[in-house]
Amino acid sequence: MAANTETMTINMGPQHPSTHGVLQLILELDGEIVVKATPHIGFLHRGIEKLSEHRTYHQTIPLTDRLDYLAPMSNNLGYVLAVEKLLGITDEIPERVQRIRVIMTELTRLKSHLVWLACHALDIGAMTVFLYCFRERECITDIYEKVSGARMTSNYFRVGGLADDLPDGLEGEIRTFVESMPAHVEEYEGLLTGNRIWQKRTIGVGEISAEAAIDIGITGPSLRASGVDWDLRRDNPYCGYEDYDFDVPVRTGCDTFDRYRVRLDEMRQSVRIILQALDKLKPGPILADCPKIVLPPKQDVVNNIESLIHHFKIVTEGFKTEPGEIYQGIEAPKGELGFYLIADGSAYPFRMKIRPPSFVNLQGLPQMVEGKLLADVIAVIGTLDIVLGEIDR
Amino acid sequence: MDINKVKGQWQNLSTVIEDIDYSVSGHDYNVCLDHEKVRDFAALMLEEGFYLVALMAVHVSPAIEVVYQFAHFETRCRVLARAFVDDNGEIPTISDIYQGANWHERETRDFHGIVFVDHPYLHPLILAEEDVDLKPLLKEEANLKDVAAVRRQPPEPAPEPKAKPEPKPEAKPEAVKSQEQS
Repeated sequence: MAANTETMTINMGPQHPSTHGVLQLILELDGEIVVKATPHIGFLHRGIEKLSEHRTYHQTIPLTDRLDYLAPMSNNLGYVLAVEKLLGITDEIPERVQRIRVIMTELTRLKSHLVWLACHALDIGAMTVFLYCFRERECITDIYEKVSGARMTSNYFRVGGLADDLPDGLEGEIRTFVESMPAHVEEYEGLLTGNRIWQKRTIGVGEISAEAAIDIGITGPSLRASGVDWDLRRDNPYCGYEDYDFDVPVRTGCDTFDRYRVRLDEMRQSVRIILQALDKLKPGPILADCPKIVLPPKQDVVNNIESLIHHFKIVTEGFKTEPGEIYQGIEAPKGELGFYLIADGSAYPFRMKIRPPSFVNLQGLPQMVEGKLLADVIAVIGTLDIVLGEIDR
Repeated sequence: MDINKVKGQWQNLSTVIEDIDYSVSGHDYNVCLDHEKVRDFAALMLEEGFYLVALMAVHVSPAIEVVYQFAHFETRCRVLARAFVDDNGEIPTISDIYQGANWHERETRDFHGIVFVDHPYLHPLILAEEDVDLKPLLKEEANLKDVAAVRRQPPEPAPEPKAKPEPKPEAKPEAVKSQEQS
């Protein structure tokens, strides 16, 4: 007698622990095989693009912390670079500011990749890696706390500079931590790379070809694991990245395993960049000399009247920009994070469009899981490294 | 890819092609299209190996403008293409050419109410089903600006006001780029 089969539709998320936030997947299953996967997003929409139209340029910086909340300083950097480009003051940013921005964003890349590795491995069943990664992440959160006062939503970069200089002794602390990092990456590799279970769960899982990746617009480590050599730090340099010597890891496996290896290699490269930046870091000003734009240092505000007036004017009225439109893309940990600003000459942006890497990368998910096992969906969500904060905005 | 050859092909599709300064604007070329030519343009860009960076809309007067951003991996060339929607607020979809445009178009429909004709599944993506008519990013009448008011003004005292800004005289996008990328 012929078996009477029909497909079954199940909900995965938005409260499922391994959907990494409020992602809902409607899965149509034939037994254990996924026939169709439909992602539903928007549960975390806060209207950041709309809100920014009613805030001065300085007031939007804290909103950007809440995009990719695992890599807040990358978002800060993309936004302040965009505003600086709009104002035409990119060349006036002091060298010390550039170096500190690079150090902090590369630490952010480490931080983001550590959370990715921890959660990805945990989803697949490797509990130990989670504990190890969070141990190192804690050091970075401590550094965050020392420079900005906050452990997650840093709000540290400013248009034209930084909120404050690095506290005394922090350079040494960053160096000690970063120098210990390659050994930790070895440790994670020792736990996972040769592990038969890890290999079974990742090799050949979630494959996506370079053509399909370009068609969708996937960027970041997921693209580089499909053999496309594209990294904005090298290809569209910003913030002085052309001064640093680093490699862009590229692999051609197109699968979860190679995406894992690309990210681990990226962590080693970040360490190289941070050490070079620390070597080149010299004392100097931490704000550009643009009194109409940059908030004066707090010390001056309480001690002299001109700074107080500037502070008052900038905080209450903001600064005006020339009309025009600019795009600034940066290589965030997850891929190309872009800010497209349109200004109409007032103190508020006329339109701000955020190009979040996770939003675009997530579109590749159906193609990566359809026809595969249900268990692979978990691995693929992990390997895409999505953050719903920036997908929904 | 030979950019000059591609530019030659743009001639047939676009009304305006201008070189802009990458270091100032973040793009190398600005291309204005008619809404009927959007699909042909996207197909050409895919064939030449560009990827779609983003797709969005801006509410300006006289009509909502849809902005497409492309970038090329090998030449590192960035292109900004724009087209106004037609009188019914419609524009053809490019989601069958660039798969990645699918969500961008759904999002743009959520925020601006633009109908992307022949889109396979133009349902709300970011907003809830009941907010389909909200169109939060449309400007109120008082805040609506003319398209020329949000473009970069010509450098120095312009002899006469123009609708479209000319590229700056010192703009040498190719030279600037190759220097940066060395």
